Amino acid sequence: MARSDDSRAMIDRYRWWEVVLIYLGIAAFLFFLLAPFLEGFLVSLKPLAQLFSSPYRFWPENGSFSAYVTMWQSVPGFARYIFNSFLISTVATVIVLILVVPAAYAFARFDYRGMGLVLGAFLAVSMFSGAVLLIPLFRLMRTLGLLNTYFAMIVPGVAFLIPSAIWLLRTYMMRIPVELNEAAYMDGASQFYTFRRVILPIARPGIIVVAITTFIGAYAQQFVFALSFNSKTEYMPLPVGLFAYFGKQEVIWNELMAASFVGITPALIIIFFLQRYLVGGLTAGAVKQ
Amino acid sequence: MGQLSLKSVVKTFGLIEVVKGVNLDVGEGEFIVFVGPSGCGKSTLLRMIAGLEHTSAGDIVIDGRRVNDLPPVQRGIAMVFQSYALYPHMSVFENIAFPLRVEKAPEEVIRKKVQAAAEILHLDQRLQQRPGQLSGGQRQRVAIGRAIVREPEIFLFDEPLSNLDAALRADMRIELTRLHKQLGATMIYVTHDQIEAMTMADRIVVLNAGYIAQVGAPLELYHKPDNTFVAGFIGNPRMNLLPVTCTAVGSEGVTVMLDGQSLTLSVEPRPEAVGQTLSLGIRPEHIRIGADDAVLEIVPSVVERLGQQTIAYANQPGRSETFCMVLPGTQTLQVDQPIRTGFRAADCHLFDAEGRAFPRRIDLTGAEMPSTAA
Repeated sequence: MARSDDSRAMIDRYRWWEVVLIYLGIAAFLFFLLAPFLEGFLVSLKPLAQLFSSPYRFWPENGSFSAYVTMWQSVPGFARYIFNSFLISTVATVIVLILVVPAAYAFARFDYRGMGLVLGAFLAVSMFSGAVLLIPLFRLMRTLGLLNTYFAMIVPGVAFLIPSAIWLLRTYMMRIPVELNEAAYMDGASQFYTFRRVILPIARPGIIVVAITTFIGAYAQQFVFALSFNSKTEYMPLPVGLFAYFGKQEVIWNELMAASFVGITPALIIIFFLQRYLVGGLTAGAVKQ
Repeated sequence: MGQLSLKSVVKTFGLIEVVKGVNLDVGEGEFIVFVGPSGCGKSTLLRMIAGLEHTSAGDIVIDGRRVNDLPPVQRGIAMVFQSYALYPHMSVFENIAFPLRVEKAPEEVIRKKVQAAAEILHLDQRLQQRPGQLSGGQRQRVAIGRAIVREPEIFLFDEPLSNLDAALRADMRIELTRLHKQLGATMIYVTHDQIEAMTMADRIVVLNAGYIAQVGAPLELYHKPDNTFVAGFIGNPRMNLLPVTCTAVGSEGVTVMLDGQSLTLSVEPRPEAVGQTLSLGIRPEHIRIGADDAVLEIVPSVVERLGQQTIAYANQPGRSETFCMVLPGTQTLQVDQPIRTGFRAADCHLFDAEGRAFPRRIDLTGAEMPSTAA
């Protein structure tokens, strides 16, 4: 309520034509951001013949969901691909959270020699492009005999996701007043008790944000790792599975788009319900409370 | 139980010494208030007593036991923070019960103690609410409740009322005084608010730049400040200091010359003061319109009318300090119109060039003070 009132007051400071300009700017930005998704969705509704007609029609004629039905029937192991995608992303997210939550707390609360260096190293690691490390990682996985396993698609991804997750959650946890730790300490609570009973519940929105961004990150990066470290159909996540199927002969665009949308829909639903945490968590610490 | 001794206590942060050898004895059941300007070390000293800051040198002794190396929970103390430090995800009940849960007290004991604390603090109707649903005063009471259930020998308060508005602060002051009487525990209270210090304290500790400037009962500090720092810090508006020349000392006190007027002040004499430039202190509330033992012509440059009182500020010819006087609200006073003001020699203080007071010869045990005797 307070935030909405603040937003209202902020808008009221502008003249009407400035407000129009602001909204036009937002609309243009959103259009560029969402146009590919809209186009993709519309393509999934169009009959295949219409996709290559000239002149090109943006809106579908006789649009239907038939591509979704045929895709579901024709792509072998589609459900398995979705399961793999979610398994890889979920396990990666759980591992990241298990490692990052205590680490972020330690970085937020304890001051020790070399902490800045360690945090800087995390930042430096996250600047490496995954592609640069693919060949050494491939050799490592081969040496360890881990190619064609879930492990190979999860663990390298986790390593790439940890730095940003630590930075994000550390920022959130730094916002929790240190007096809460001191009050608990005065009352005789141990560090672990304070962490479990006081800090974790308060940090929950921040942890949810990290979980969402990690899940999205794991979902997005699984293509590269799965393509490089896995060749078995039963372990393929959705993007690689679709790439393998649709890339074999001709590309059936409407079915490909339908498959893509079915693939991302569960993730979109999760984000939709958790987005209030996302907005609150990402702006945490941006302004003085 | 509840006795505290600070023995040459020092705190350094790197090369900076924040608390510089503080010695203090606090008796059982005393209400002690630490006051001082920002950065004087009062909160640091409190945190050292609490065990939240390591003591660099010296000893902190509670009930005869050196506690320097003991964690807070073993010192028999509880602390109330300025920011309340309530756990926002817990109900009022759980916030108050937190220390008992930590020590794994039986559920029945927890329920009884929380209920008893809630009744003392008038929170019994709020136990199921979250801190976010409470007013500032209620939140502060929850924080006090969390301290009460531990039944500590010593309560520490770190500016607990500074986040409240003026009206609520006044209410809470009364409640805290009542609570002190009810519990009979030793309380150490940090504030920068003079009114809190004067109204609640048995004794006030005035800190300045890491040192204790003076320790004493509120009226003792007001009437017999040891130095110009305490004289300026206690009392609002601050005491006026006027340069005078000592002309004589005798059994009746010290005679000084102020703008050609001779005044004999009833203070302990120091023979070496004759001929020296001293500072005469006079509180703004002891100045009246018209002639008295001493007379000053002033021209008010700013007049603040508060209703009950009128405060006038005037520049003094040849002096950088502003001269201030507090008059009854009914007093008519105009800016830039010269007025003749006066004050009594009995209300004056005297300080040497180093700012040390010549002790005043007044008896504070009686009900009447020099200022009220007239």
